[in-house]
Amino acid sequence: MIPHGLKPLLLPAVLIAAFEIWTRVTNMQSDSLAPPSAIAAAMIEALSGGELWTATRDTLASTLAGLAIGSAIGLSLGIALGISNVFNRLMEVTIEAIRPIPSIALLPIALIALGFGYRMEIVIVAFACIWPMLILSRAAVGGIEPRLMEVARVLRLTPADRVRKIVIPAALPRIFVAFRLAASIALIVAVTCEIAINPIGLGASIMAAQQALRADLMLAYLIWIGAIGYLLNAGLLFAQASLFGRAALAGGTP
Amino acid sequence: MKHTDMLWRAASFAVAASFIGLWQLTANLKLVSPVFLPGPDKAWAALLRGFSTGDLSEKLLGTLEHMIYGWFAASIVGIALGAAIGSSKAMRDYVAPSLELLRPLPVSAIIPVAIALFGLSQGMALFVIAFGAVWPMLLATIHGFAAVEPRLYEVARTLHMSRLAVILKIALPSASPDILAGMRLSLTVALILSVVCEILAGLDGLGHWVLLSARAFRSADLFAGVILLGVVGYVTATAMSIAERHLLRWRTSGH
Amino acid sequence: MSATPSTVTPLRPVAFQPRTPQIAFDGISLDLGGKTILANVSLDVAQGEFLCIIGASGCGKTTALRLAAGLYQPTSGRVTFDGAAMTVPRRDIAIVFQDYGKALLPWRTAIGNVSLALETAGVPKAERADRIEELLVKVGLPFHGDKYPAEMSGGMQQRLQIARCLAQEPKVLLMDEPFGALDAMTRQGLQDEVLELVRASGVTVIFVTHDLEEAIYLGDRVIGLLPHPGRVGIETAIDLPRPRDQLTTREQPEFLRLRRRLFDFIKASEA
Repeated sequence: MIPHGLKPLLLPAVLIAAFEIWTRVTNMQSDSLAPPSAIAAAMIEALSGGELWTATRDTLASTLAGLAIGSAIGLSLGIALGISNVFNRLMEVTIEAIRPIPSIALLPIALIALGFGYRMEIVIVAFACIWPMLILSRAAVGGIEPRLMEVARVLRLTPADRVRKIVIPAALPRIFVAFRLAASIALIVAVTCEIAINPIGLGASIMAAQQALRADLMLAYLIWIGAIGYLLNAGLLFAQASLFGRAALAGGTP
Repeated sequence: MKHTDMLWRAASFAVAASFIGLWQLTANLKLVSPVFLPGPDKAWAALLRGFSTGDLSEKLLGTLEHMIYGWFAASIVGIALGAAIGSSKAMRDYVAPSLELLRPLPVSAIIPVAIALFGLSQGMALFVIAFGAVWPMLLATIHGFAAVEPRLYEVARTLHMSRLAVILKIALPSASPDILAGMRLSLTVALILSVVCEILAGLDGLGHWVLLSARAFRSADLFAGVILLGVVGYVTATAMSIAERHLLRWRTSGH
Repeated sequence: MSATPSTVTPLRPVAFQPRTPQIAFDGISLDLGGKTILANVSLDVAQGEFLCIIGASGCGKTTALRLAAGLYQPTSGRVTFDGAAMTVPRRDIAIVFQDYGKALLPWRTAIGNVSLALETAGVPKAERADRIEELLVKVGLPFHGDKYPAEMSGGMQQRLQIARCLAQEPKVLLMDEPFGALDAMTRQGLQDEVLELVRASGVTVIFVTHDLEEAIYLGDRVIGLLPHPGRVGIETAIDLPRPRDQLTTREQPEFLRLRRRLFDFIKASEA
C-alpha cells in the first residue's frame, strides 16, 4: 500500500515520466510541446539569465501596486457600505452596474489614456481588485456579531473609535481572506494584460517564447508563472495562519 | 416588493443617474480630453448607431457565441470529471492535490500554448475559454461530491440503490449548490477569456470591437463596447442567479 | 392516539414460543479502529416481537443495530435473518436513524422522500402517488406532502423518515434512538403512533434507546448491554398489558419494578 503522504505525488510523477518517454520515442518536433527534460533545461537557462527575473519583477510590481490601490479603495468602500445601511442601499444600483464590467474590457481605454507600460496595467489590476475587496469586506462588516456593535454604543465610542477598535478587528480575519482572493485575481489580471497586449512582464515573456517557436522555453515560463501564483497564495496563507491562527479559519475560509 | 424597498430602489437609481450627470458635466466642460472620455450622450449615440448598422449586434453575437460554447463544453467536462473524481475517495487522494496545485495558475497563461497548437483561430479561442471555464466547475463539483452527507449513502445502501441511481438521485442533487456556484464563476471566466482571445486573435467579437475603436481613437464607440460588455456580464450573471434560486428553492425554505 | 387501557389479563405473546428467530446474533464480535465495540454478543429476535435495547454510553447499542441493518459486518460470528447469514443490507429491513435531518433528502418534498423508497423498488409511477398518500396519512402527515424537510418540525421530519421506511414494506423495523432529539410531548405522541403502526402491521421492531421508561413502555422484551466492550448484561420480558397507555401503564407496579431493575443495572454498569 502506498503511504498516504506519497499519494498526491504519484499521478504527476507518472504523467511526467510517460510524457518524457513518449516525446523521446516519437522524436517529436513540435512548436507546442516539449519533453519535460527539455523544459527543465530551458527553465535552468531562463533562471540563470536576467530576463526572467526582470519580467518577474515587472509583473509583481504591477500586481502588488494594483493590489494595494484596489484593495485600499475596495476596503474603505466596503467598510463604509457595511456600516451604513443608508449608504449601501443608495449605492446599490451604481455598484451593480459597474461591477459586471470585465476588467479586461477597460484595457483599450487604459491603453489610449496611458499607453503601454506599468501605469496602464496597475490601473486595470486595481479596478479588478476593488470588487472582491468591496463585496467581501462589506459582508465581513455586516457579519459582525450585533452584540459587539451594541457594546460599542453602550460604551459611547465615537464613530472613528468604533471603526478602529471594534469593526476592523472583528472583521479582520474575513477581510484578510478577501485580500488573499484579491491577490490571486491581481496576478491573473496582470498576466492577462501582459499576454493580451502589454509588452512587459512574464506574460510578454511567455508570448515571446511562443512566437520564437521555443516550446520548451514557453512551457518553462508557464510553470514559472504557476509557481509564482502558488508562492504568492502560500505566502498569504502562511501570513493568515500566523496572524489569526485557527480561529480565523473556522469562519468559513474558502 | 415592499413600499420602502421600492423607494430605496428609486433613490438608488437617482444616485446612479447623478453619477451619469456628473460624467456628462465632466465631458461638457472638457475636464478630460474627449479623446479619452466621451460624454454619456456620445456613448449612447454610438451604441444606437452600432446596433442600427448591425455592426455591434454582430460583435455582440460573436462574443456570446464564444462564451456560451466554451462554457457549455466546460460544464459537461467539468461536472462529469468532477463527479467521477469526487465520488471516489481513492481518486480524490491521488488527483485532488495536483488539482489544488494548479488552482493558483493564471489560466490566461495557457493562451500561448493554445496559439502554438491551434494558431490564431476560433479553435484556439474555444480551447482557451473551455480550459479556463473548466476549473471552477471541476473544483466545485469535486468539493460538492466529497461533501455529500454520509448518512444518505447509508440510506442508499439499505434501499439497494444502483451506483448510477446514487450518483443521479443523491450525490448530484446534494452537490448542486456547489456546482451551480461553480457554474456562475465559470461564466465570468468565460466572458473575460472571450474578450482576451478576441483582442489577441482579431476574432469577431466585442473584444475586437473595443480594440479597433481604441486604435482609431473612436472613444464613443469604445465606451459603447465597454458598456455592452458590462451588460453582457450583468445579464448572464442575473440569469444564472435566477436559475440558481429556482433550482435551490429547497434551501431557503424554513429553518 | 392512545386507546383506553384494557382489563384483559396479560398473555405471553405467541411469538415467544421457540422457533427459528427472525434475526439472530450468533456470538457477534466487532472491532472498529482497534477497539472492541462488541464482544461475543448473542441474541434472538422473534418475528413480530418488539425488542428494546438499552445501555450506558459506549455499550455499542447503536453498533448492534447497524449490524442488524447489514451496514457493518461482524469481525467474528454471524448475523442471520430467517436462518441465513446477512452480508449486505436487505430491502426488507428498514432503519430509522436518530439524525433524521441527515437521513432525509433536503431537495425533495415529503412526497419525494417517500417516493425514493418506491422508485428503488421499481414500483411503477402510476401506483406511487396513492401509496405515498396512504403512508403519509398513516404517519400523520396528510397535508404536508409538498413541504420540504426544512419546512417541517423535528417531529414531522422523524415521521417522514418513518413513512419512507414503511414504504420499503419492511419485515423488520430498526429504530436508533428515533425520538432522542425531540421534546417530551412530541416524543410521547410518536411512541403511541409507533405502537399503533406496529400493531397494525405486525412488523418486528428492534428499538435502541437510552430512555429506560421508553424501553419498558414500548417493548415486549428489553436487553441491556454492558459497556466496554459491549456484551449482554440483562434480559427481561415486559409483562405489561397491551395496548399501552401513557398514564396508566406507567403507574403499574410491574412498570415501576422493571424501571427500578433496569435503573440499577445501568447504574452498576456505569460504575
